[in-house]
Amino acid sequence: MSTKLDSVPWRRPLRAVTLRIEQLSDTQFVYVLLSPVFLLLAVVAFWPIVNTFELSLHADSIVSPDPIGEFAGFTNYVDLFTGGLDALMPRPFVSLSQPLKSALIVTVVFAGVSVSIETLLGFAQALILNEEFRGRRWVRLVLILPWAVPIVIFGTMFYLMFNSTVGFGSEILHGLGLISATPFTSTQDSLLLLIIADIWKTTPFMVLLILAGLQSINRDLYQVAEVAGASRWQRFRHVTLPLVAPILGVAILFRLIQALRVYGVIEVMVGCNTVPSLSCMVVSTFQSRYYGTSATIAFTTAALIGLVTLGYFAFTKSEVV
Amino acid sequence: MFHRINTTLEQLSETALRSPADANRLVFTGGTIVFVLTTLFPFYWLFVLALTPNELISNMGLVPKGYNLAVFAQVFQELPLHRYIFNSVLISLMVTAVVISLGSVAGYAFGRYEFSGKRPLMLIILVISYFPPAAFLLPLFRLLTGSMTILGIQTPDFYNTPLGVAFPLSALTLPFAIFVLTTFYSQIPDGLEDAARIEGTTRLGALYRVIMPLSLPGLTTVGVLTFITVYNEFFFSFLMTDGSADHWSPLVWGISSIIFEQQFTTPYNLLAAASIIGVFPIAVLVLFAQEKIVSGLTAGALKE
Repeated sequence: MSTKLDSVPWRRPLRAVTLRIEQLSDTQFVYVLLSPVFLLLAVVAFWPIVNTFELSLHADSIVSPDPIGEFAGFTNYVDLFTGGLDALMPRPFVSLSQPLKSALIVTVVFAGVSVSIETLLGFAQALILNEEFRGRRWVRLVLILPWAVPIVIFGTMFYLMFNSTVGFGSEILHGLGLISATPFTSTQDSLLLLIIADIWKTTPFMVLLILAGLQSINRDLYQVAEVAGASRWQRFRHVTLPLVAPILGVAILFRLIQALRVYGVIEVMVGCNTVPSLSCMVVSTFQSRYYGTSATIAFTTAALIGLVTLGYFAFTKSEVV
Repeated sequence: MFHRINTTLEQLSETALRSPADANRLVFTGGTIVFVLTTLFPFYWLFVLALTPNELISNMGLVPKGYNLAVFAQVFQELPLHRYIFNSVLISLMVTAVVISLGSVAGYAFGRYEFSGKRPLMLIILVISYFPPAAFLLPLFRLLTGSMTILGIQTPDFYNTPLGVAFPLSALTLPFAIFVLTTFYSQIPDGLEDAARIEGTTRLGALYRVIMPLSLPGLTTVGVLTFITVYNEFFFSFLMTDGSADHWSPLVWGISSIIFEQQFTTPYNLLAAASIIGVFPIAVLVLFAQEKIVSGLTAGALKE
């Protein structure tokens, strides 16, 4: 095979590279593989993050042409937690007297509720799609489709459905006593509608990932379990669940991170004043040119998400990382 | 499509009724019907809005108040919707290509090798996804619009080009892709790769001939999710282009321009029609890609 390769001139450099790679130690080989990714991430992700952190240590500067104010150390962070920056934001960062008006609490409630429900529904749907039945590809297409709807379209769609002059949704939910007649004026009602919309839109994300995990399970294992006399539930509990667990862990982790950063759908569907998520605060202070404050909230958001994921790793004893 | 689903469901319910003892079957069928209906309903309602002439849109119920099919042609006269969709598809393809090629190599490294520094490196990649996209905006905007000089060289101006959106989004979608692919690669039994290596295949040969084909469901899933995420994206799509279709603005801008440009009444029917057309490319993508998602692993391929 090697002589054949050598006879094709342009293949020689390729072969030289392949040979060189064969001679590397495992660790060297791995770092060669990882270098392109880290090169890209360094420019487009790590450098901006460091830059934004530096920005968060500076005061806002809204009058002078230079967008960066004087160096202020950690003043912004102290002010954020003691309420000193609340005046610059449409809603306070955290306020225990009005929990539903504060960014931190609204964001955590949204993420917790929607991700739990999406995981359960997603698992159920993935199990359905994992079965063989006629027309499965069409059912699969339908169940995955909501994830394909761009945020502007999906936000508008649900806004119209629950808009009291155009849609009918509010009337039904109001009749059931779940929300008031004008839900888009109340944070609590808007949050509920937002969660419903988010579940519709994002469950397919869980379905796709869990389904891919289910499909990777070796079918023979089920036969072995069946022969051994395992019930349907036992097969699920002792074969399916442990084998899907790794990909399920990744799916929940990234859904949780996404949900804690929620922004687009709020902006389109209910407005950042009604449901003030943390990302809403980052964007609105950014738009008002409070760059120092905006960077501070962004970093605090990232830190909170970091804490939540740490808690998630500890709680599930997950081995994702 | 709806007809096919209906017949399927009928068949399912017939089977379930013939053997009522099998309650599982009934739960399965019932669940499928409920999921399909609740998922389809908002789409159906978009059609109701699109078909109803705009002046009649108020207190809409479950049926259209008119059958104005012309709306689907009208929306192309109002704005270059096809161009917006083309821009979005192109940007999504670019990002997906980068994410799949870089992400699969990184996922392979993380998933199949133990090496010093592995955990810290994975954590540092994960941390990127903790930040709201806005946190990257100020520095990235300056970098990608040519308003910075690095070592005396001015950075290129990517504003109003596909690269302006594709650059930030490939970095922001990579962490997720790497984690999913790491999980998939790590679940492939060592035996297969070892066998290939013993038979004289090189490292890279084993990656492309053994590992990649086996992780096809994972690769396709990541590809589809990345494509859709970029097609859907809201933040950089808005900020890195000025909204003109000729300036590579994506679909988000096209849809939004319907809302912004009308000052008095929002043309809900146009909005709904544009939304339905905008979802179409993704529907086609999912329809074709799903076969790969599930059939990538043939039975017995993983036998050790």
